[in-house]
Amino acid sequence: MRRSVWKVLFGVFSLVALVGLLLAGPAAALDKVVIGHPGALSGKYAKAGEQARGGIEAAVKWVNETRGGIEVDGRKVPLEYKNYDCESKKESVTSLIERLVTKDKVHAIFTPYSSGLTLAGAPIAEKYGIVYMDHGGASDKIFKQGFEYIVQTIGPGSKYHAGTLDMIKKADPTAKKVALAYEDSEFARSVMDGAKQHATELGFDIVFERTYPKGVTDLTPLLSALKATSPDIVIGGGHFEDGQLFNRQMADLDINVRAFSLIAAATLPAFYEALTYLAEGVMGPSHWEYGVTFDPDAAAKEGLQWIGPSQDEFVQLFKDALGKDMIPDYHAAEAGAAVLALVLGIEQAKSVDSDKVRAALGDMTFMSFYGSWKIDKTGKQIGHDMVDVQWQNGKRVIVWPAGARTAELYYPMPTFAEKAAGKKATK
Amino acid sequence: MFAEQLAGNLIQGLVLGSIYGMATMGLSMIFGVLQVVNVGHGAFIMIGAFTTMTVFTKLGLNPIFAIPFALVIGMALGFLFYYVVMQRLIKAPELASLLATFSIGIILEETVKLTFGSEFRGFNWETGKLDLGVTVLPYSKLIAAGGSALVALLLYLWYHKTRSGTAVRSVIEDSEGARVCGINVNWAYALSFALGIGLTVTSGVFLTMFIPVGINPYMGGGYTVKAFVIAVLGGLASPYGAFFGGLIFGLMENGSYTILATIKGVEPFALTRFFSFVTLLVILLIRPTGLFKSQ
Amino acid sequence: MSARPGKYLALIPVLAAYLGMFVFGRVQPDMWQLVAMLAFYCCLGQAFNLFLGMTGYVDFGYVAFVGVGTYGMALTLSRLSGVEGIGFGALVIGLLAAAGMSAMLSIAVGAVALRLRGAYFAIATIGVNEGFRYFIEGARIWNGSEGIIFSKDLRAIFGRETAIALSTFWADVFVIVIGASAAVVTLIYMRSKIGFALTALREDEDAAKVIGIFVTKYKIIAFITSAVFAGLLGATAWALKLTYVYPPDAFEIHYTVEAIIIVMLGGAGTLLGPVVGGLLYGLSKYWLAIILPGFQLLIFAPIILVIIVAFPEGTVGYLKKKVRGTALERYIV
Repeated sequence: MRRSVWKVLFGVFSLVALVGLLLAGPAAALDKVVIGHPGALSGKYAKAGEQARGGIEAAVKWVNETRGGIEVDGRKVPLEYKNYDCESKKESVTSLIERLVTKDKVHAIFTPYSSGLTLAGAPIAEKYGIVYMDHGGASDKIFKQGFEYIVQTIGPGSKYHAGTLDMIKKADPTAKKVALAYEDSEFARSVMDGAKQHATELGFDIVFERTYPKGVTDLTPLLSALKATSPDIVIGGGHFEDGQLFNRQMADLDINVRAFSLIAAATLPAFYEALTYLAEGVMGPSHWEYGVTFDPDAAAKEGLQWIGPSQDEFVQLFKDALGKDMIPDYHAAEAGAAVLALVLGIEQAKSVDSDKVRAALGDMTFMSFYGSWKIDKTGKQIGHDMVDVQWQNGKRVIVWPAGARTAELYYPMPTFAEKAAGKKATK
Repeated sequence: MFAEQLAGNLIQGLVLGSIYGMATMGLSMIFGVLQVVNVGHGAFIMIGAFTTMTVFTKLGLNPIFAIPFALVIGMALGFLFYYVVMQRLIKAPELASLLATFSIGIILEETVKLTFGSEFRGFNWETGKLDLGVTVLPYSKLIAAGGSALVALLLYLWYHKTRSGTAVRSVIEDSEGARVCGINVNWAYALSFALGIGLTVTSGVFLTMFIPVGINPYMGGGYTVKAFVIAVLGGLASPYGAFFGGLIFGLMENGSYTILATIKGVEPFALTRFFSFVTLLVILLIRPTGLFKSQ
Repeated sequence: MSARPGKYLALIPVLAAYLGMFVFGRVQPDMWQLVAMLAFYCCLGQAFNLFLGMTGYVDFGYVAFVGVGTYGMALTLSRLSGVEGIGFGALVIGLLAAAGMSAMLSIAVGAVALRLRGAYFAIATIGVNEGFRYFIEGARIWNGSEGIIFSKDLRAIFGRETAIALSTFWADVFVIVIGASAAVVTLIYMRSKIGFALTALREDEDAAKVIGIFVTKYKIIAFITSAVFAGLLGATAWALKLTYVYPPDAFEIHYTVEAIIIVMLGGAGTLLGPVVGGLLYGLSKYWLAIILPGFQLLIFAPIILVIIVAFPEGTVGYLKKKVRGTALERYIV
C-alpha cells in the first residue's frame, strides 16, 4: 500500500519534470544577459544597499553604452539588471532568488549585503547551480563551507589593518601601545584578529582589547577604561554608526592619541559631515576610495588586463544612476567591479552556463578602477589590496600604500583641544 | 584606579540616566492614561533628533531652540494620530493598539527615509568641557541632563497643581467616574496622548544634544526597548517614576561595566546589558508592578 | 460536551490550507521558495497564537524561543558532524534538542513572567529575549557573537546533494508539518479543559481563580507548547534552511512583531486566523517587494492601520461573526 503511494507520487513528479523539460525546448539564441539582485533597499542595510544598486547600475550602463554590450556567441548582447528588495531580511532572500532564477531567467545572482544574508541565499543558489557574486559578505567563514558557485569581490576581513600598522611603524618607531576596541561581530572580530597578529609581529604592545555589542548608543564606559591605559594608537570600529559614535565620544572624553583608525566608518563622506573637525587626522582602511590611481597604465605595468570605466566615469555614471550628487563609496565600487568580473567571466567562458562561467572566473585576473581582482579555489578574493585614507582639512586623502597615495600621512593626530581651536591635519 | 573608574562611570551614568528618564516619560504618560503601549515610541524620538539637526544645520540656531519646535511638532502629531487612529481603538483588544502604534512608527520612519535618506547623520555643537578629574563632561551633555530634570519637575507640577493635570489624573484613576463628574474624557485622552508624544519628540532633542551622531530614520529601535524596561522600573504608569527609572538604568548600565570588566574571559559591555535585563526581571519578581507605585 | 458531533470539523479548512501550500509548491516548483516563506509566516503565527490567542497574554519576547531552537539544531549539527554514520540521526537529535531547549527556556521564563499581567508580562518577556542575546555575546557561550555557520557540517553529514535538498526543500516541508501540527494541537486544546479554563482566564483572570480554575497550570501548558513549536520552527526554517545563526539575528524582536501582525490580521484566538494572516502578510510583502522595491513598508503600514480600525477582530474573527448560526459555523473557528 505505502509502496504504491510512493510509486504514484514518483510517477506524478517525473511526469511534471518531463513536461517541464519538453516545454523548455531547445535553447533559443541568447539576446541579453541578465543580472539578478535581491538587494537590500530598505531595512537595516538600506544605505549600503543603495550604494550597491548604484554601483551595479553604473557598471551595467558602462558595459552597454561604452563597451557596446557583452560578447556571447560571437555577437554583442546587452546586459540587463533586475532587482528586488529583500528588506535586509533573511526570509525574503531565498524566495526572491528563486524568482530571479526561474521567472526572470537571470544568468547570475548578486548577493544582498552582509555575510548573513549572503549565507542565507547560498543554499538556493547552489541548488540552481547559478553563479553567486558576493560583493558584500566579507566573512572568511563563507568560503570554508564548500559552496561551489560563490565568487567574492570584496576582500576578506583579516587584511584590513596590515597597511595601517606598517605605516605607523615607519612614521614613528617610538609608538608602542595599541588599544583595540571594536564591535562584537563576526566581521570586526576577523578584522581585529588580523590586526592583533600583525601588531604583535611588528613589536607593538596590545594594552587594551574590548568589544561592544551591535547597536550600542553610548560607548562611555568602554572608552573611559581605554583612556586609563593611555594608548598611542587606537584601532577599532565595526560599522558606520558605531564608528561615528566612537570618534564623537573620544572627543567628549578628551582621549588624545597619536593615531586613530576606524574600519568601515572613517572612509565615508558622511563621517566628516557629521563630525566636522573632530574627524581631522582620523584614518581608516578601505577596499576602495575615490582618488585611487588605478588606470590602464597601472594594469599594463602589472601585466593585467584592464576593463571598465575610469574612476571619474564610474563616479559620473553612479551619480546618474541614483539621481543624486553623491560620491560612491566602496560598497558601490565593489558591486560595480563584480559586474565587470562577471562580464569578463562570461566572455572568457564563451557561454552563460554557470559552471563554465564559474570556472573561467576562477582562472581569471584583471584590473579595473577598483584595483586588481583574483579569487582562489573557494571563491575568496585574494587579489585585492586595501588602501588607507586620512581626513586632512576636510578632505579624504589616500596615505597608504606609498604607490597609490595622494598625500603624506599627517602624524601625530592633533589633539581634540587643538582641533576645537581650528587646527587641521595638514602642514 | 578601580574606584576612580567607577566614580567616573557613575557620574556619566547619572547624566545618561536623566536623559533615559526623559525619553521614557512620554511612554509612561500614554500608558497611564490610555493603557496603550506605544511600540512606535522610538520613531518619535527619531523625529526629535531630525528636528534638532535641521534647526542646527539648516537654520543655524542653537539646539536649545529645537525644543519648542519639537514640542509643537510632537503635539501636532499626537493630536493627529489620536483623532485619526487611536480614539477608535480605546475599547479594542490590546493587540490592536500595539499594532497601530507600530504601524505609525513605520510610517514615520519610512517618510523620514524618503525625505532625508537613510544616511547616518550628525552635527557638532561645540560647548566646551567640564573636567572633573575622574571623567570629562561636555557642557552640552550637562545642558541636556539639566533640561531633562527640569521637564520632569514641570510635569510633576502640571499633574498636581493645574486643573487640566488634575483632570487627566482623575481619568487615570477612574474614567467612568471622571465622565460622571463632567470631565471630557475623550479630550483628556487626546491631550495626554499629544502631550506624551510631545514629550517623546522633545526627548529626542535632549538625546541628540547628548549624542549628536547616529541620526538615522531607524535610530529609535534600541531606545524603544530601553524605554520599555525603564518604564516598568518606574511603575509603567507614572511619568516621573519613569524619570527615576531612567536614573537607575543609567547608573546600572555604566556602573556595572567597571565591575564586570574584572571578570576574565567575558565581554563586559554585553554583560552590562544582560545585567540590566536581569535586574528588571528580579524587580518584577519582587514587585510585579515595578519599583514606584502607579498612581 | 465531548460527544458533540463534528467537533474537529474545523480542522478541514486549516489543514487544507497547509496541504494546499504544499501541493501548490509541488506543481509550481519555481514558486517553492515563496511557499516556504508563506509557510514560515503561517507557522510562526500558528505557534504564537497557541498561547496568545488562548490567554490574551502578549509575549513580546517570543522570538527567543525560535532563536533557541535555531541554536539547538545548529549546535547539534556542528558538534555531531564528525560522528561516523550519524546521518539522519543528527536531524532527529537536532529537532529534539531544539524542542528541549525551547521548552526549558519557556519553563524558566514562565516561572518569572507568568505571574505578571498585561504590559508587565509583555515587557518582562522582552527583557528575557534581550538578556539572553547579551548573555550569549557577553559570556561567549555557543561561539558568542561569531555565531555558528554550519553549511559545511550539513554537507559532511549528508553529502552535497542531500544537504542542498534539506535546505531548499525538506526544511520547508518540515515547516508546513509543524504549522499543521500546531493547528491540530490548538484545536485539541480549544476543545479540552485547557481551552475552557483559558477562555475563562482571558475573560477575567481573577474570576477564573475564584471559581477554582487552576489557571497557572493551564497557562504554563499553553506557554510551553507554544514555545516548543517555536523552537521546532527555528530548527527548521532558520537553522536547516539558512545554515547559519548569529545572535542579533536569532533574537531580532522584529519577528515577534511580525507574529503579532499575522495573528492580528487573521484574528487572535481563532484557529484559521494565523493561516489567513500569514498568507495575507507574506503575499503582500512579496508582491510589494517585486512591484515597488524599497517602498513596501510605507504602503504596508497604512494598510495595517486601516485593517485594525475596520476589523479589530481580524479577518477570520469578522468572518466568524458573519457565519454564526449558519452551517459554516463548525468550519470557521
